[in-house]
Amino acid sequence: MADAPERRFLFDGAPRSARPGETLLGALTRGELPQLQRSIRYHRPRAPVCAEGYCTGCLVRVNGRPNVRACRYLPADSDVVTTENSWPSPRFDVYGVFDFLFPGGLDTLHGFRRPAWATRAYHRVIRRLAGYGQPPDANAAVPPQAPEIRAPVEVVIVGAGTSGRAAAARLAEAGIRPLVIDRSLETAPVPGADLVPRTTVTFLPAPGPDGFTLLGFGEPNRGFQVPARQVIVATGAYDASLLFGGNDHPGVMTADGALGMRDPSGQPPFRRGVLVGGDARADAVLAALPDRIEAVVAPGPIQPSLVRRASEEQIPLYPRTLLLRANGRSHVRSIDLRSRGGGTRFSLDCDGVVLAHRRLPTPQLFFQVGARMQWRGGTGAYYPALTDAGATTVPGVYAVGSAGGFLGPSSAESGVRVADAIAGRPASDGTALARVLADGPSELEGYYRELWREPRAGKWVACPCEDVLLKEVEEASERGYRGIEVIKRYTGVGTGLCQGRYCLPDTLLVLSMLETRPPSDVGYITQRPPVVPTPLAAFAALATADRPPEAR
Amino acid sequence: MTTLARSSYRVVVVGAGIVGLYTSVHLARAGAGPILVIDRGFLSSGASGRNGGGVRQQWETPATVRLARESVAAYRRFGREFGYNPWFRQGGYVFLAENETELAHLRQVHALVTSEGLPSRVLTPEEVARHIPGLAPGAVIGGTYLGSDGTLYPFPAVWGVYEAARSLGVEVALGVEAQGVEAPDGRVRAILTSAGRVEAPAVVNAAGGWSAEFSRRAGLTAPNTPTRHEILATEPMKPFLDPMVARVSDGLYFSQTMRGELVGGLTLRDGVGVAQGMPSTARFLTEMSRALVRLVPRLGSLGVLRAWSGFYDDTPDGFPIIGEDPRQKGFFHANGFGGHGFMLAPATSLRVARSVLGEPTDLDPNLFAPGRFLDARRPAPVERLQLG
Repeated sequence: MADAPERRFLFDGAPRSARPGETLLGALTRGELPQLQRSIRYHRPRAPVCAEGYCTGCLVRVNGRPNVRACRYLPADSDVVTTENSWPSPRFDVYGVFDFLFPGGLDTLHGFRRPAWATRAYHRVIRRLAGYGQPPDANAAVPPQAPEIRAPVEVVIVGAGTSGRAAAARLAEAGIRPLVIDRSLETAPVPGADLVPRTTVTFLPAPGPDGFTLLGFGEPNRGFQVPARQVIVATGAYDASLLFGGNDHPGVMTADGALGMRDPSGQPPFRRGVLVGGDARADAVLAALPDRIEAVVAPGPIQPSLVRRASEEQIPLYPRTLLLRANGRSHVRSIDLRSRGGGTRFSLDCDGVVLAHRRLPTPQLFFQVGARMQWRGGTGAYYPALTDAGATTVPGVYAVGSAGGFLGPSSAESGVRVADAIAGRPASDGTALARVLADGPSELEGYYRELWREPRAGKWVACPCEDVLLKEVEEASERGYRGIEVIKRYTGVGTGLCQGRYCLPDTLLVLSMLETRPPSDVGYITQRPPVVPTPLAAFAALATADRPPEAR
Repeated sequence: MTTLARSSYRVVVVGAGIVGLYTSVHLARAGAGPILVIDRGFLSSGASGRNGGGVRQQWETPATVRLARESVAAYRRFGREFGYNPWFRQGGYVFLAENETELAHLRQVHALVTSEGLPSRVLTPEEVARHIPGLAPGAVIGGTYLGSDGTLYPFPAVWGVYEAARSLGVEVALGVEAQGVEAPDGRVRAILTSAGRVEAPAVVNAAGGWSAEFSRRAGLTAPNTPTRHEILATEPMKPFLDPMVARVSDGLYFSQTMRGELVGGLTLRDGVGVAQGMPSTARFLTEMSRALVRLVPRLGSLGVLRAWSGFYDDTPDGFPIIGEDPRQKGFFHANGFGGHGFMLAPATSLRVARSVLGEPTDLDPNLFAPGRFLDARRPAPVERLQLG
């Protein structure tokens, strides 16, 4: 591989190159956080946040196709890559004036109604502020790509992480060869299993008489379909976002993003990072990036192992601290903080804020298939209700690993137990596996109550995909609209490209506070398919063979 | 859990969708007295929060064209009347014909629409292509177009009539289900709800997909049936498509919303009722995607962002059911809209309110009256443009 040639492509007219296997985002990062986007409505500067295909910070146009995620795209020779939604460039964008003109946001619900003769002009402006990219070029018509339609299998495992692999290995021991589907761009072979790499399962409908049919796609637009009798969901977890002023500034990123954007020498795209979080995840990030973290700030307490590691590295710790505001505009320069319980306000200089305070399950497939979900206060999220053997309430659907809420070493063990249950082996020793706590309020509920007493300056972005401001959520609540389903329809929160992955967990906690009822009573939005945007061409290729139009 | 403010009302409206809420506004403005609106779900949980936002005036009878034209006028002034901006954009409606039979059908519609004074046009394939950038060559043999048709964003319209109703003193109780009607001697006296019994001499059945069920709970047979329809939205894009596009052959329709998403559906009649819920299906996602990509191939790389479903409240003849039920005095219908409730709500709800108040309306009983299904000998006009 070392001798393989680099891929040469054009980025906004300039020649660039990518190493074999390197993503477009990787090629554009190389230790410096690239600014590839402006936000959808206010044209605020934005940079990649998650580096795993969900946020809108790395959308670019490739060969006339809009909204290509640079973090999921492997450049080919002579690709033409351009930035979107800014003029002349994301670094200097004249439309950024909207952000200054409307410091309190644009009220499209109540505004732009008068005078009647201005209606057409209003429509023109507001439509222009929608969308990231131009529609696909006329000559970018996608050549039909043969779909990958697999023969029925007994067991499908979605996800080739620790728990998925543990389940696959154990099934193989029992003589069952599962099909493992993984969305990573590089997946090591899974012994004893058939592997479908680079493929995202985006739809797991409720079962029919013959079992399940999973739908998905492989990038860029190869449709994928497989029928299965049993499905093990091992979709893992992700790092959540946090609400504070300027929480969408370039340089604020999740731990997934910080780790995913490391350059070939292992360094993240910042020099002076503030690490946010106090538990095992933050500990792992510090272990991976010891030279680039200058402080650890936690909304709650900091666990002893992280305290030890930080003191070895001589990194200051700020437990139980409120994050008030990220300063800077085109890039974060510092962050304003205050110790909880009424401490004094202070600032830390930084060029990166790494959010590692809360790891949440990826639960969409459970919701889609209709499994019963349970609110678990431990992290403040919904998890499938499970039997001891890892079965959900939908017969044939199992949850393993962090998607099922299993922690640490119990993650792999949960895969083994499910495999045993499927293979009909006697249950293992029967001890309970460590799982996210079911009861009690999450640490963040108290955190937000305290934060709400602080003055708030600047834009607090509740939903970065659609540029929905926290203020809009509060106003909807003040008007008497209650419940996350209604707030979603009122404000647009949760309707963007990440499907609520980054905005809903915190919005739910905020609404719980505003509505003075537990988060589980505020509800949850229906998780609509597909899990991630699936190209029309990929779905189209899976349509049943030609048949006459429906009888009318 | 919910407690109602009173034990008796002048009118109880079942269904807090656009039709029920609009009706309550008209009733309150006319000074009808205490009004209660109940809904089993949350605001906009039914078809009013699930539709594609199309508002067109191209119909097959003069009566429906006129109602639709009145509704268009109402949506044009909606923002100034109700304080919420529904972003009603008159980008036109393009109907597509794939063969001569369909084109002949559209020409008939065109003749009627123009005779009603609306400047619709018959389009050549080239003219259709000018309205739909990237249209596949040979995909259509023609179509019709009316520029004053349009699309709106349904949610603000719901919030607008909801807040207007409340400020006029209407009580709106959400999460309250209508369970039956007490009508001794064929006259409505009380409505049984999950929040208790309330007395009222009039009830309006505006329950959309659940209205046939409520009619039956009131002891009345119902000709309408709920049919699940699915819809999808793509990733948002900069503006590129102005009109709503609708195809006669398979009910394909799509438009680009003010948020930039392409939103549309396709008719897959599978006859499931409300009991089966509102799931999305693989069949819809794949067939809708195929229809879109075949018609506009350049859209192939565009991502489907999400899909959802809702219920059309279909009637055998395609016309809604509006007015008092001849079998039960005080039981008023405002249902059977077959997926067109949003586009006809402003005009029809005014007629519903009038009939509740005992005033005459201009609605042709042969087309709209609930009693039309009781007379087997009646000649049956049928509205076939049941899409978008």
